[in-house]
Amino acid sequence: MPQVRIIAKSFMDMVASLPASKLDKLYQNVFICEAILRSLPPLAKKYVLQLLYVDDAPITAKTLEEWVLADGSSKHKVAIDRLIQLRIFTETVDRKKEVTYKLNSTFQSNLQKHLKNGGVLPREAMPANVTARLPSLDELGQYALEQWERFLLHLISPSQTDARTSFSSSMMRVFQRGLLTQRDKEDPTLTEGGFQFLLMDTNAQLWYIIREYISNSEERGIDPADLISFLLELSFHVTGEAYNMNTLSDIQGIMIKDLADLGLVKLQQGRKESWFIPTKLATNLSVSLSDSSFRKQGFVVVETNFRMYAYSTSKVHCAILRFFAKVEYQLPNLIVGAITKESLYDAFKKGITADQIISFLQQNAHPRVAEKIPSVPENVTDQIRLWEADLNRVEMIPSHFYDEFPSRDVFEAACDYAREWSGLLWEDSKRMRLVVKAEIHMNMREFLRGQK
Amino acid sequence: MTSVQSKLYADDVSLVVVLLDANPFFWATSSISFSQFLSHVLAFLNSILLLNQLNQVVIIATGHNSCDCIYDSSSPPQTHSSENGALPALYAHLLQRLEEYSEGFPIRATPSTAPSEYVAIMNAIFSAQRSMVPIDSCYVGAHNSAFLQQASHITGGVYVKPQHTDGLFQYLVTVFATDLHSRSFLQLPRPAGVDFRASSVFGQAQGDASSAADRKRKAPET
Repeated sequence: MPQVRIIAKSFMDMVASLPASKLDKLYQNVFICEAILRSLPPLAKKYVLQLLYVDDAPITAKTLEEWVLADGSSKHKVAIDRLIQLRIFTETVDRKKEVTYKLNSTFQSNLQKHLKNGGVLPREAMPANVTARLPSLDELGQYALEQWERFLLHLISPSQTDARTSFSSSMMRVFQRGLLTQRDKEDPTLTEGGFQFLLMDTNAQLWYIIREYISNSEERGIDPADLISFLLELSFHVTGEAYNMNTLSDIQGIMIKDLADLGLVKLQQGRKESWFIPTKLATNLSVSLSDSSFRKQGFVVVETNFRMYAYSTSKVHCAILRFFAKVEYQLPNLIVGAITKESLYDAFKKGITADQIISFLQQNAHPRVAEKIPSVPENVTDQIRLWEADLNRVEMIPSHFYDEFPSRDVFEAACDYAREWSGLLWEDSKRMRLVVKAEIHMNMREFLRGQK
Repeated sequence: MTSVQSKLYADDVSLVVVLLDANPFFWATSSISFSQFLSHVLAFLNSILLLNQLNQVVIIATGHNSCDCIYDSSSPPQTHSSENGALPALYAHLLQRLEEYSEGFPIRATPSTAPSEYVAIMNAIFSAQRSMVPIDSCYVGAHNSAFLQQASHITGGVYVKPQHTDGLFQYLVTVFATDLHSRSFLQLPRPAGVDFRASSVFGQAQGDASSAADRKRKAPET
């Protein structure tokens, strides 16, 4: 995956940055305690578990350090820092400068309950006789992807009419911030960040959007803490089960409609009741921080003659491919194109890098070619890199130009001097002109003054 | 015999297989009752499942001369039946299976002493060693079990004989809930003199079948 700057912050970092009172409120929810515990580094999890039934006395930092071998001291430090940052540990320093830690009592009692009673679901699934036939897991996965694609298409080309979501235009503008630039009366174009966003995998994209959604929530009068707790709670539901809408609070009821637009849940209406069905996108929310188990199947075949066949019906795919390839024709389930010098130059001009294009082609390689090594022919990847390097052929060096030397001797002495300092970039002995690097300009001037 | 170095594990995901000794001959004489013991173990299993959503737990109950797999966290959750009420799935299912299992117990007073069983057990331990699956043992009997000590030693697992059985959960969590990845950074109990006498297996075989919970831990195949 291309290293993407716009996604640097993880979800838990966001949680950690909440004010103390909000965090304490969050810990009243068992599921949040559970999700937060799971997000911790392994050593930190161990410390919490070991201290869970150590009730009264706070534990000294020294005792804690004794649990760790010398090799693990850096990991120990990371673990402790994280625990303090998330306010799971509170640190106190007494008069003798001894550091002690105490476990957050709400967090503690919630996890104790969890250990005693085992994992309980946030809400009971609806019985099968109320909900008629529920979609199968495959259908649900398909639905989630379609919903997500429609959202993406709406995001990158707002003018297309068949890509409508119920997000308000102001909300869409929030999402587009940083991804699109709009000049007056022109169609908005993608920024460099926007391209990178499109080349990311679904989970990373989802996180970016969710992050924007959360950070913007205060402007919409929704408490980010409510939003975070609902999203985390949602990840503990079972994929494919139906949950009654009347178990949701008012705010959650509004949120669930937005989440349906993103493909996190599917909403269905029965004769009397309505319910939501979490998709894999939702239940993977708390997992997806670290790994992307939700992999799409690849669809691109690249041949050694630079021709490209993409087995896809998705408009988003087509839009992405157009960024760096010349699409020649499009069949209902196939996009045929060629990677040409011109199409790549266009891409490079827009700020897409060769590595991003190559990693996109490799990650989305059709299963037939994905088994091969390399999945994209070497001559193609090499050529893409070479064409990129071509553009970077010109190197800028700040320099100074000298001419009108009084005599050939002075000119040659100056050339020798510049060469000695390895600052001579160009000389024209016939017309007695030379160019030297800017950094030796002062020395050069001193030298020429001495020559007079 | 040299002990295996634990493999280098990159993540903290574990598959924990618990061999639970449900032999009534042992629990009749034990200082801690089976139900007390079970409540500690259940809390421990919950904490394993809590630590990582990808963690898995398998429980095998071992009896006097039989054994049966009674719980597997990866199998689809059982639907709640009304008689179990709000009892969490793990408990309800496990207790039920445990009951079924113990009903089928052939209660016989004469323990079998077939040497062929010894060979089978040693084979199991050696294959665990070969496939680098550490065997941890927690022993709540009166004397140390040389047999389990050896098994843990050669597979790179940990052997613990808790001093205070009422704090059993704390022992379980502190030692056995440690994933293999973190084991390389943490101070864990080290063997204080393993009894290597080969005779011990035959001499003590019956008395030492009273292991409480041996536990194999294995990194998932993925």
